[in-house]
Amino acid sequence: VNPFERLRGRRNVDRDLADELGAHLDVRIEELVGAGLPLEDARQQARRELGNETLLIERGRDVWRFAMIEDAWQDVRYAWRQLVRAPGFTAVAVITFALGIGATTAIFTAVYAVVLQPFPFHEPDRVVAVGEQFVTGSLSAVSPGNFEDWRTHAKTFSDLGARRFVSVNVSSGTTPERLVGVAVTASYFSVFRIPAVLGRTITADENRAGRERVVVLSDRLWRRVFGGIPAVLGTTIRMDGHPYTVIGVMPPQFDRLGGPEEFWIPVVFTPEAIASHDGHSMYVVGRLAPGISTEQAAADLSIIFHRMKEQLPANTEVRQGIVNEFAAEVVGGSRERLLVLFGAVALVLLIACGNVAHLLLARGRLRSHEVALRASLGASRPRLIRQFLSESAVLAVAGGTLGVGAAYVAIPALLAIAPEAIGAIPRLDQTTVNGHVLLFALAAIVMSALLTGIVPALRASRLDLRTSLSDGARTLAGAKDTLRSGLVAGEVAVVIVLLAGAGVLIRSALYLQSVEPGFDGTSVLTARISLPEVGYEEPARVERAFRGLVERISQHPAVDVAAVSSSVPMTPGTNHNGLVPEGKAFDPSNFVLGRLGVITENYFRTFRIPLVAGRLFSVEDYREAPRVMILSRTAAQQLFPNENAVGQRVACCESGPDGAPLLKLVVGIVGDVRSNGPHAEPPADFYLPIQQAPAYTWSWFQRTLTVVVRGKTEGTGILTEALREAVRDIDPTVPVHGVATMQQRLQATLAENRFNLVLMLLLGSIGLLLSAVGIYGVIACFVAQRRHELAVRMALGASPADVVRTVVTHGMRPVWLGAVIGLTAAVALSQTLASSVYGVTPRDPVTLVAVVAVLIVVAILANLLPARAATRVNLAGLLAG
Amino acid sequence: MASKLSTRKDLFPGALELMVLQTLKRKPLHGYALVRAIQASSRDLLQIEEGSLYPALQRMLKEGWVNARWTTSDTGRRVRAYEVTLKGLKHLSGERERLGQMFEGVRLVLAMVEP
Repeated sequence: VNPFERLRGRRNVDRDLADELGAHLDVRIEELVGAGLPLEDARQQARRELGNETLLIERGRDVWRFAMIEDAWQDVRYAWRQLVRAPGFTAVAVITFALGIGATTAIFTAVYAVVLQPFPFHEPDRVVAVGEQFVTGSLSAVSPGNFEDWRTHAKTFSDLGARRFVSVNVSSGTTPERLVGVAVTASYFSVFRIPAVLGRTITADENRAGRERVVVLSDRLWRRVFGGIPAVLGTTIRMDGHPYTVIGVMPPQFDRLGGPEEFWIPVVFTPEAIASHDGHSMYVVGRLAPGISTEQAAADLSIIFHRMKEQLPANTEVRQGIVNEFAAEVVGGSRERLLVLFGAVALVLLIACGNVAHLLLARGRLRSHEVALRASLGASRPRLIRQFLSESAVLAVAGGTLGVGAAYVAIPALLAIAPEAIGAIPRLDQTTVNGHVLLFALAAIVMSALLTGIVPALRASRLDLRTSLSDGARTLAGAKDTLRSGLVAGEVAVVIVLLAGAGVLIRSALYLQSVEPGFDGTSVLTARISLPEVGYEEPARVERAFRGLVERISQHPAVDVAAVSSSVPMTPGTNHNGLVPEGKAFDPSNFVLGRLGVITENYFRTFRIPLVAGRLFSVEDYREAPRVMILSRTAAQQLFPNENAVGQRVACCESGPDGAPLLKLVVGIVGDVRSNGPHAEPPADFYLPIQQAPAYTWSWFQRTLTVVVRGKTEGTGILTEALREAVRDIDPTVPVHGVATMQQRLQATLAENRFNLVLMLLLGSIGLLLSAVGIYGVIACFVAQRRHELAVRMALGASPADVVRTVVTHGMRPVWLGAVIGLTAAVALSQTLASSVYGVTPRDPVTLVAVVAVLIVVAILANLLPARAATRVNLAGLLAG
Repeated sequence: MASKLSTRKDLFPGALELMVLQTLKRKPLHGYALVRAIQASSRDLLQIEEGSLYPALQRMLKEGWVNARWTTSDTGRRVRAYEVTLKGLKHLSGERERLGQMFEGVRLVLAMVEP
């Protein structure tokens, strides 16, 4: 083999082949002439025998190279040259793609971070959240006794760990700080199988009284408070007055489990707590044994409940076990709402693809001459299709790159605009453009290129050569353009689905903004105050401290009225008790689950919660006085349907001297409060005066109450200072934490709602704009093709109004079809929104009608513009041409 | 009269190359001469199509089984003549043996006496 021959490259291969085929022809012609054929006939016959020379050269060339890659490269270069030559077309197509692909990629980053991203521990599928099924039917906290039973007997778990949130005062620097952590069993760490990065985690031995003063720090806390130095190991931190020894630091990935905790300390179960099987305070996580499903595990736990029944104290109800995927428990409803957003953005991308497809179609028509020429010169059909596909591919890659770049820049900006959304949607803060996102963007680009390219490519390659080349293509061909009508109908259908979804979410958001929360939070400041255990062991001492605080702050000139409460709307710290009306057995089947608020007298005045009946608490309701309570309207209704609740007695919360549940007199009924946010029904609240709070509640609350202060003026800045001052006066070691105005708390509960709303508004607008442009483009093209026909009509006496009517009627036909399809699809898909909308049904007729109306108006406008242009054509010029 | 076998659809892959190599073994030939030679040696049973021959020749050039050289033909025409290389000869003999076995096998099966 002559290596030089190979290196001469393609040009030489082509030339050699061409020369060779020429020689072949000459020899054959010579032979035919020799046989007696006239020269011209011989030439023709020889050519016929040889076949398509171009094709032969191409196939010969194909042997020598990676034909596909080189062709593709050539196609791309050709496409590039074509696109550069039509900058207007190219810009519109690229921007359309950039919008569609960029938006889709941006939403996907959030979907990936929140939903798809695997949790950062070993085999996340096997980690589950475990709970008891209580009155509500959902997963609720577990009593230490039940947890111990499960851990001893359950065969379906390889590990079970329990945790309980704790918050402690830490006075490491000048100002005391409140830290949130969890008290855990040693097994908690083995469930996640993440070892400490420094030191060690908690051992089972440290879950015993006397050994429990050790603490494991989170990466976040370690860096923030301890400067990230390894020497922190072995040092002592005073938490709530007790010394804790630092034994370990967890890696950063442990911070990404979605919880707020910053440290871990051992939990200690007293023998009494285990035996009582009461005090449902533990959140349990488990690692399923290999091959066990969540259902099998839940059944296992329920069986253990029943088996242990005999050993339970009297009056303890038998519950069911619930086992949910850990991921589902953490991500919760955000998953569905994000997927809805993702669906919406996919629709926007579809519309964008439709628009570019149409642009290419229109271009294909303009270029039919060129295509026909290329076909006649020997370009094979697959080759032509590839050519068109590479054009759409170049557009999609350019648009996609631009879009992904924009997403990369815009995502941090978007997250900065919606800081509350980060708090409201778990793991949203981990949103970044990573490899998975880029892979997704690539898939979106390929999909877009195929979707937009394949239709025009197939169509252009099937052109009838004769009509195109003879330039007689100014017939009525355009009028029967089903392909483009289909595009319009499709876009209309897609945009109706999109706008219907956006519309329902907007209505829902408006509803939520308008819901009366049941209290007046303007110029109310809230803050959490936690008293340490050391020095505040006595309930009376705790109560005195809080009452003193309220008294002191109330004296501040800027303060109108103030109170403390264990339960403030939209603020952490809720506790529930079973309430039973006097006369009924104190049995869980008779329970009304009440949300407990331990309050000082002015709580209702501070929030302007109206008194409906009876009286409010007063200083007369002291510790030794008859036990009293106030019910919310909902609680009163549930306890005493169709009766006046005031004056009735309710058993709850604590036992009397005889061991029977203590009865409390209902002295008043107050208005309902939407404590869990405007989207949730008001819970059944009941309130107790702080003087009569059962002793155990102080450990429930961890001696933490929320101070609520109403200022005399709107501003709350001065209130914060007043509050800090008052707390310092009471006890300088006590930190003030969780400071927020009620407005901020209200906004925070609506943050996810608003986040979704803004995005839906954005996507809806983009979709509407794109589809309007799309419809306009198609109609304008129709009209352009029918200029001759319309000119003839006008020449024959049709009025401009007739022409406009003809064009609009024709142009609206696919719009009607699309509207019907879109409405049907919107209704069919409406259920996917069920978990995201409030106060409006997902298939809200008002929204649907409004959406269709908007779209039809837009479509008529998009039709009118080209239609009116058509009436202004220069008849003489057109017909002469 | 039996219809002619076309090289495009009726031959198994590689057969054309073998015939070309065998034909070139006698003397170097240009493309058209090859067509004629194979037609003649197959007593007109095989019709070589140019559409198959030229790509096949390119493949064989690439494999190094043949060399091509521009020369002058007997009639004084500039033609591109192909000659078989040593590598081509090796390939031919190897394939011949394999083919012989295959035909023998097929013959034996087809010659089976029906019960």
